[in-house]
Amino acid sequence: MTESTNPGHGAAIFADGLKKTFRDPQRGVVEAVRGVDLDCQPGEIYGLLGPNGAGKTTTLRMLSTILAPTSGRAVIDGIDVAKDPLEVRRRIGFLSGSTGLYPRLTGRETLRYFGKLHGLEGDALEASIQRAIEDFDLSKFADGRCETLSTGQKQRVSIARAVVHDPPVLILDEPTTGLDIMASSDMIKFIESRREAGRCVLFSTHILSEAERLCDRIGVVYSGRMLAHGTLDELRADTGKEWLEDVFLALVQRADAEAVVTAAGASASSGESDA
Amino acid sequence: MAEGTLGPVSLSVFGAALKVAAKELLESFRDRQTLLYTFVLPVCMYPALFWVMVQGVLVVQGQKNARDVTVGIVAEDSTFEEARLALGTEDDEEPSGGAVATVRLTPEPAADEAERQAQMQAQMQAQMQALLEQGGDDAPDAIVVLPGAVAGTEVARVYFDSTNSRSEIARERALVSLASWADDLRTKAADERGIDPEALDPIVVRSNSVAEKKDEGALLLSLMLPMLLVIMSVLGAFFPAVDLTAGEKERGTAETTMLLPVPRTAVHLGKILAVSTSAMIATALNLLALGLSAGHLLDQLSGASGGSMVVQLPVGALMSVLPLAVLFAFFVSAMLTGVASLAASFKEGQALLGPVQMVFILPAMAATLPGLTLNTTTAWIPVVNVALAFRAMLVGDVQALPLAICALALFGAALLAIWFSIRLRSNEQVALAGETLSLGKLFSLLAPSKS
Repeated sequence: MTESTNPGHGAAIFADGLKKTFRDPQRGVVEAVRGVDLDCQPGEIYGLLGPNGAGKTTTLRMLSTILAPTSGRAVIDGIDVAKDPLEVRRRIGFLSGSTGLYPRLTGRETLRYFGKLHGLEGDALEASIQRAIEDFDLSKFADGRCETLSTGQKQRVSIARAVVHDPPVLILDEPTTGLDIMASSDMIKFIESRREAGRCVLFSTHILSEAERLCDRIGVVYSGRMLAHGTLDELRADTGKEWLEDVFLALVQRADAEAVVTAAGASASSGESDA
Repeated sequence: MAEGTLGPVSLSVFGAALKVAAKELLESFRDRQTLLYTFVLPVCMYPALFWVMVQGVLVVQGQKNARDVTVGIVAEDSTFEEARLALGTEDDEEPSGGAVATVRLTPEPAADEAERQAQMQAQMQAQMQALLEQGGDDAPDAIVVLPGAVAGTEVARVYFDSTNSRSEIARERALVSLASWADDLRTKAADERGIDPEALDPIVVRSNSVAEKKDEGALLLSLMLPMLLVIMSVLGAFFPAVDLTAGEKERGTAETTMLLPVPRTAVHLGKILAVSTSAMIATALNLLALGLSAGHLLDQLSGASGGSMVVQLPVGALMSVLPLAVLFAFFVSAMLTGVASLAASFKEGQALLGPVQMVFILPAMAATLPGLTLNTTTAWIPVVNVALAFRAMLVGDVQALPLAICALALFGAALLAIWFSIRLRSNEQVALAGETLSLGKLFSLLAPSKS
């Protein structure tokens, strides 16, 4: 286990200059994330807000060790993701649209599989499974194959899968996307319950009302960069806007304007050096 | 408006069909799998594989040609010397092939007329079998009995052991030499009489195998079973390999698996182990089914074709094959799992593994080449070695050193394949790729990193 001496002053999630580049055959080198900083404390809900393609999912995948950062540093519950990704995986619950359930396993078998691999066994394992089944009201369909479950039922089994080992950190990538009103409501209640239990929740969304309702702090991500972060009031003060939608648009417009100025400056200095 | 006259230009059904076909072809040929199967494989891969096979056959043929064999001759004193000259060669006479040495054999004479009649058939066969099996440096690989040499023999006969490759070679050479000698004798006799050689009856030469029927059955199985074992193993690994890799991506559970709180190597090894287990179970069940049904079928087939060989599954020999079969299953499973990981969907995984399975199955056909045996050279060649080792075990003709080399080579190949598979699957672009990766991309992923 690799304990960090001062990882983000006790933050459950800490990222510093996190970058990710891909080599794409068609597009060449793609900078998906260009230096994201964030920290999320225990008992806090932190929302990553951004449009599609902003780099939210890539950031969360790096934090959950699915992808390795190209550079920068990320620490989860005191563990460096680059140095000990296995220990990080033991301390997080991760849920996204692409973390599907194994269709040929039942919900109970899924919980048992993950519980076992998290080191639970015997009575402790059975107790965890039973608790998850009761907490997420799975009893009616826990023994049915996941492929036969409805979208809402699958979502509940997925949440139970993510928290069967009661992780201190929960990372959720657009957790309500594709869910109906009832399932979305269940998910929001679940996120709030984790905060009440003193857990850290980091989630991404592009649904502004969700962020407004749930988040203690919000980070706005755009074109792979963190444009601003803070409480909703801090972001309002920063932009002079009242509604989160206006706050978000103001930040994006400011970033676009800065990019134009930077590009013009680079072009001018290039012209001078050519002359 | 009538059907088929929707616009200013009327389209016939056939014309419309052609336009649809053109569009479908355009779409098809823009599909990588279609391109692979329609153009790349026919143009490049299969000719290459068959070229390799032909080279293999030529090597085997070369080995056969280079072998020295001994032909025993049973002949009267008056014809022996001529027969020896006709059948035998010296090393320097056959620079590109093996020599044929000759040895004179004298069967025990029959005591009376009744025995002489019997000697024609069963006794002669038994005596020739005993001579062929006597062993030693001078032991003949085939025996030529000329007409008149033994009581009641009206035709020239070549006795050989059809389950022994040396004996087969000796028989082939003896038959060629006898045919040539018979033509010379016929021409000479015709010249002496001043007639056309075609007017004389040809000298009849027949072959008799002294192999027992159960040995012939064992030979047949030893030619078929190794290839079947390889094919069963490959087919047994095929679908699980695709299902657990490309299928997982298609089902959207690849990322779930990457979150498992265990080392990634353990996940990859677990998958290879699962695929190997499937391959072994499929192989065992296929063999069981073969044992229950095919033995009877082969008996019937051999009976229908005029033979009466006895075909029984050699259970003991198959058990001895088990350790090599397990190693081979790991080798195949790791390779197929690694390659299937490049695919983004089940369908593409199947398309990718199609040519790969041929890479295993075609070399396994080496086991059906009678002259090719497991030796210290062939034991190093992947797939060929295991097929030949299976064959050697099935006929009980195992030599320790080649078998040890084969096991070592197979172990090394399995380790290499597992390393290849794990390295490939450890790459996050392979693990999460939304589209099937090209060969170029594969090589760039496997190349050592510059940073």
